[in-house]
Amino acid sequence: MMQMPDKLPRWLAPLLFTAALAGAFWRAPSPEAAALVPPPAAAPSALPAVFAAEMLPRVAASAHAASLAQLADGRIAAAWFAGSKEGADDVAIWYSVLGRDGWNDARPIANRESTAGGTFAHVRKLGNPVLYTEGSWLHLWYVSVAVGGWAGSSINHSVSTDGGKTWSKPTKLQTSPFANISTLVRTPPLPLADGGLGLPVYHEFIAKHGEWLRLSPTGQILDKVRMPHALRTLQPAVVALDEQRAIALLRDAGPGPGKVQMSATQNGGQSWEEGEALAVPNPNASVALLRLKSGRLLLAGNPQDSREAMLLWLSSDEGKTWQPSRTVESAADGGAEFSYPALLLGRDGRIHLAYTWRRQGIKHAAFSEAWLDGKTP
Amino acid sequence: MNALAAYGLLAHGLIFGALATLLPLGELRARVALAATTLALLVGIAPVMHGTFGTPSLTLLQLAILHLANRRPSPLSFAPALGLLGFVALFYPAALGWGAFDPYALGYQPWTLLVALLPVAAALWWRRQDSWLLILAVDVAGYASGLFANLWDALFDPLLVLLALLIVGRRGVIRLIASRTR
Repeated sequence: MMQMPDKLPRWLAPLLFTAALAGAFWRAPSPEAAALVPPPAAAPSALPAVFAAEMLPRVAASAHAASLAQLADGRIAAAWFAGSKEGADDVAIWYSVLGRDGWNDARPIANRESTAGGTFAHVRKLGNPVLYTEGSWLHLWYVSVAVGGWAGSSINHSVSTDGGKTWSKPTKLQTSPFANISTLVRTPPLPLADGGLGLPVYHEFIAKHGEWLRLSPTGQILDKVRMPHALRTLQPAVVALDEQRAIALLRDAGPGPGKVQMSATQNGGQSWEEGEALAVPNPNASVALLRLKSGRLLLAGNPQDSREAMLLWLSSDEGKTWQPSRTVESAADGGAEFSYPALLLGRDGRIHLAYTWRRQGIKHAAFSEAWLDGKTP
Repeated sequence: MNALAAYGLLAHGLIFGALATLLPLGELRARVALAATTLALLVGIAPVMHGTFGTPSLTLLQLAILHLANRRPSPLSFAPALGLLGFVALFYPAALGWGAFDPYALGYQPWTLLVALLPVAAALWWRRQDSWLLILAVDVAGYASGLFANLWDALFDPLLVLLALLIVGRRGVIRLIASRTR
């Protein structure tokens, strides 16, 4: 073993260690107890039955995994990934805003080169984006892979303060000790009472399970909590029920025909416990979850055996039971895929849904609670 | 500029330089180290290492710097390498999803870990492992600086584990060869 040079006194190393330790204790975060921002009080929606749908701009042969956010000025924004095919070199994160004349020209806001340039690390492919508005800040999280498949993903984060026109250089979230791999994002975060965010993420390497990242108001990771489950689960979609309670609905990652799985927290996300599977089918596909103005919960997903339909369910008892509501789109032509839904409640009470349309594009639908209840526009 | 990304890139450049000097280079050692470090940063080797292995720990960086400075023997001898392998054999599977407990999460609010480092530091000092105590001090200082979000990332990383595996494996191969040639 190498010895210290004679000229360095032996008390130097413990002294330096003590100083470093004191600094580390000073720097180590000691956040207050976790709490969620409770949802607003339930109120009936006054909107009449409305439904409208349109395609977002087609930018490439393949498109997938949309995310929605409402900008500070009230416009609806969408981000998704598109390229020649999923996982291809040319896949980028695309962004478009819904104006009075419909969705404006989409433009790429992140690609392999910009991500590698911000993180100083090789990037092989990009995947799922998540948009989230926090005051005048528009957050973008998206996954990137350096080596291997999606299980080798890590999460990048970028921010825009001008409604998506310009974006900060991405930074990587450090979420794993093993080459920072296998943490992915798909669904939007929840605001926390301390000004931070709770970001639902998931893990795919060795095991498949949901996770909960607690972020400080400055974006620092304060905690990472597993959503334990006996089955393989992915892509938690989370809604807050009050300050302490939230539920996460998860994709059933198989094997075989599955059900939408549930996890729940009773302490603001500090710990999660496995809940009973819902009586809602899940063909190993992403789901979206939203709390409506009326206090009911809305779930978007697929039928039992395929992604050939985009279906909606409603729950009036905090997610315990679900009733089928509407079929947004379906086609039994074998190649149809209507999947990876994203839901957003607009400030005007309108509900926005974006989903992958046949892997060729992203479709957006806007509707009201009255339409969900069966009334016709 | 993101400080952690810049650190990761530059550290991987130095680590590649240190790896290059593992070759028997004689008098060319210093020049090759400089050339390899420069090359790693300029032609994209360091970004590939950064993407593949993630951000290197401060422990690995310090070992690389000691190696570049030709300070021998390296503190990463057989016993510490074996100890590291034993630890990560439990740590990595748990942190990557085996079981319900995630030890990596302890590193985000590392009060318990920092307290646990006290007896480790005392043992290192008692056993006159001053080099390791200094390395540990710099690791902890790196966390205190805010560079690392998670204390574990300052302490070790997969490339360091790979290096430990090579050190332990080499000893095993040498013993195997020796036993067969007796």
